[in-house]
This record gives sequence, structure tokens and C-alpha cells, in this order.
Amino acid sequence: MNRTTKLVVILLLVVVAVCSLYIFQTSTQPSAQLLQIYQHGTLVQTIDLSHVQEPYTIELKGESGAYNTVSVEPGRVCISHASCPDQVCVHQGWISDSTLPIVCLPNEIILEITGGGSDLDTIAG
Amino acid sequence: MKPVFILPVLTMGLLTGCVTAQTPSANSQIFAMDTVMSLEVYGDGAQAALDNAISTIYHLEDLWDVTEEDSEVSAINQSQGQPVPISPETSALLEQSQELSQLTDGALDLTAYSAVSAWGFTTGDYRVPSQLELDTLKTKIDYTQLSLNVEEQTASLPDGMSLDFGSVAKGDLGAILSEQLQNQGITSALLYLGGNVQTIGSKPDGTLWRVGIQDPSNPEQAALGVVEVSQKAVVTSGSYQRYFEENGETYWHILDPETAAPARSGLTSVTVIGENGTICDGLSTALFVMGLEDGISFWKQHPELDLDIIWVEESGNVTITSGLESTFQLTEAQSGREVTVIAP
Repeated sequence: MNRTTKLVVILLLVVVAVCSLYIFQTSTQPSAQLLQIYQHGTLVQTIDLSHVQEPYTIELKGESGAYNTVSVEPGRVCISHASCPDQVCVHQGWISDSTLPIVCLPNEIILEITGGGSDLDTIAG
Repeated sequence: MKPVFILPVLTMGLLTGCVTAQTPSANSQIFAMDTVMSLEVYGDGAQAALDNAISTIYHLEDLWDVTEEDSEVSAINQSQGQPVPISPETSALLEQSQELSQLTDGALDLTAYSAVSAWGFTTGDYRVPSQLELDTLKTKIDYTQLSLNVEEQTASLPDGMSLDFGSVAKGDLGAILSEQLQNQGITSALLYLGGNVQTIGSKPDGTLWRVGIQDPSNPEQAALGVVEVSQKAVVTSGSYQRYFEENGETYWHILDPETAAPARSGLTSVTVIGENGTICDGLSTALFVMGLEDGISFWKQHPELDLDIIWVEESGNVTITSGLESTFQLTEAQSGREVTVIAP
């Protein structure tokens, strides 16, 4: 092998090693668990639940006193209090994957998670 | 430069290409027809096709909103027997609904609206009507009293009767949007229309869509099972979807046209899977009213509809039609349930 060929082989090995490492890392990292919060059809906040360290709450305020309190914890989310009459969103409890979003129809709030391990594309019912 | 230098560059290019290559897509969540809808459209022209789909949804909502005074449905309800003009979309949906009512011997009946309102399911002011009131209400449920003229695009109902599209509107919306998206060259889309699912083609990667079926006894959390589909509507009617409790009794929104009261057939949900969303939606209601035994007979008598069905009984037992044997799976948490497969 002359010098140039050696150099090429080494360079190739380095590139393959770096790429493999990159692919290995991205595939073994805990997959992002993205929470998207929509209010009146507009995306108002995106949170990666897999990076949440301490529990906290978010107040979503609507018109004429309407509100929903969103409780965020590591890996999961729920609506803990809401002004809506039916309280469907509160009764749903915690969600941690994309199986079913939390929806508050009266206040037009959607909490939707993408990723998080569910293998369903949607749910009928 | 020797050609061998190109290799690493090519390798890197390929690898990053693999990681970043994506089908263009557009998605949106909207509130319409008194529910939430989530639309995902894939492929070239996804955004434009999605925008058109949303306009169609709002247009049909305006035509079919029974609570709006100036909707076409309200015009029919106030027609007092005098034909009122309707749009081609309303005419087509009325025609299809009437066919489904005939096919199911009235188990689907759009004219149950007076009873639905009497129970408070339209407003949320729930109440249990007296037997006397129910006896009067059930005389107001009769789809044969709807007069529809498809050529002139008019319809009317006798005084005192009223209809609404609650049991077919979202399914028909799915069918209309499916056709509209395909006409715009879309070959992959997933539409969640307030519980109704309409798939267009397969997933962008060519695999089947995985659609969960809600567990009637725990609808807010886990799925009961999963079906894998392409180019199909998946529609469920369940007693858990809208209900209220009074004096220890549960009353739900799916009414039996013969009694004007909640249909107590021993079922908690019926899911219908087929190509046409309108048929799936209307029949999921009708099959819930019929109950398991009559539903199985209906399915056997109508192979031309090419439908697959999942029945869930109050006991928790699940019955599926043979076409689902290979594509329906209980989720892990539900694997203890008994599943019966019905052959044609």
C-alpha cells in the first residue's frame, strides 16, 4: 500500500466510525416524547416530556374566565383543573403516549403527545 | 484526486440522506361539528390539499348544523311539509341515509332527532322523559315521512318531525374528504374526525395504518385492540360516547327508534370497517341498536357491502368478522378477553 491509499483507508474508517457512532447514539437515546399544546387550534407550546425534571403547572386562560390547568411531570401530563362544565378533560387523567390526546371541547384545548412508545397511529371510538 | 476519495464523501452523503429524508406533510387540529378533528396529509401538495379539506369541513358544518337556524337541516325541520331547496351534498347524504334506513329496517333513523333533544343529548341538559312522552316521541320517528326529491334537490318533513345528521355526518365527511384528497393527488392521509377514522392509502412508508379501538369500559385510557388498514374508514358507535346517569341508571345517546329510549341491546360498542365512511357510520349506529345476534345475521345477509365488524358486549366479550382474523389484535392488557370469529 502506498501512502495515499493508506490515508484513504484510514479516512474511510474514521468516517464510518463517526457515522456508526452517530446512528448508534440517536437510536439508543430515549426517544423524544413531545407534548404539543393547542388552544383554539393554534399550537401554543411544545414540551419534551422526557426532559422534564421537576413537576410544574401551566395555566391556559381563555375568554370570559375560562381556564385549564395543565400539570406537567417527567414523562406524563394531565389537566388537573378546568372551568369547563363537563370536566371530561380532568377525568381523563394522565397520558404519556400518543394513543389518545386530552381534549377539552368547551375550552378548545388539545394536549397531544408524539412519540413515547405507542405504536398506534390513531384511535377510533 | 483519486476516485477513491469520493467514497467517504458518498458514504456520509448517503447516511445523512437516510437520516434526514422525509415525505412532505401537513397536519392540523380543528374544532368543528361539535367535536375535535385531526388531519394528517402526506406527499407533494399536502398543505394545499389540507387547506381545501378544512374549507370543506366548515362548509359542510354550516349546511348540517342542526342548532343553527340558517342551516339546511334546520330548513328541512321547519319545512312543515313544503319542499325546501337543498345542496347536492345534503341531497346525496339524505339519499344514502334513506337507503341505509331501508336496509336496516329502520334501525338507523335520522328522524329520531326530536327524541334525542327530549333526552337533552343535544344541549347537555339531560332528563329522562316520562313513558307518556316517549310514547308520543316514538310516533315522530319515521324515516319514510321524509320527502326527498333528488332531481329537483328539495326535501321536506311533516310538521312536528325533525331530523339531524348526527349518526352519519362525520362518516360522510370522511368519504367526501377521502375523494377530494385523492382527486388532488394525495395517496396518504389520516383523518381523525371526532372518533371516526378515515384513512387514505397507506402510511407514507407503505405500511398499514394502525388504528386503535377504544375500550368501552375504559374509553379514556387504553385501547381494546388494534386493526391494520389502508384506504378504509373505521367507525365506532358506543354507549360510552355520550351518556348521563340518573338514580343509578345510565342513559346513552344511541336511541332505539322503536322506543325513543336508549338502545339496550347488550352491546357497549360496535365498530364498522369498510371503504365508505357514510355506510360505516350509519351502520355502526344501526348495528348497535340491533344487538349482536341480529347484527351477525345482517352481516351474513349483506356480503356485497364488504364490511368487517367488531362487536363488544356488556360482558366484555368481543366478536369479530372473519376478515379481521389476521388484522385485529387485542392489546396486551386486554389479552384475557374472549374473541369469537364469525365466518360468512
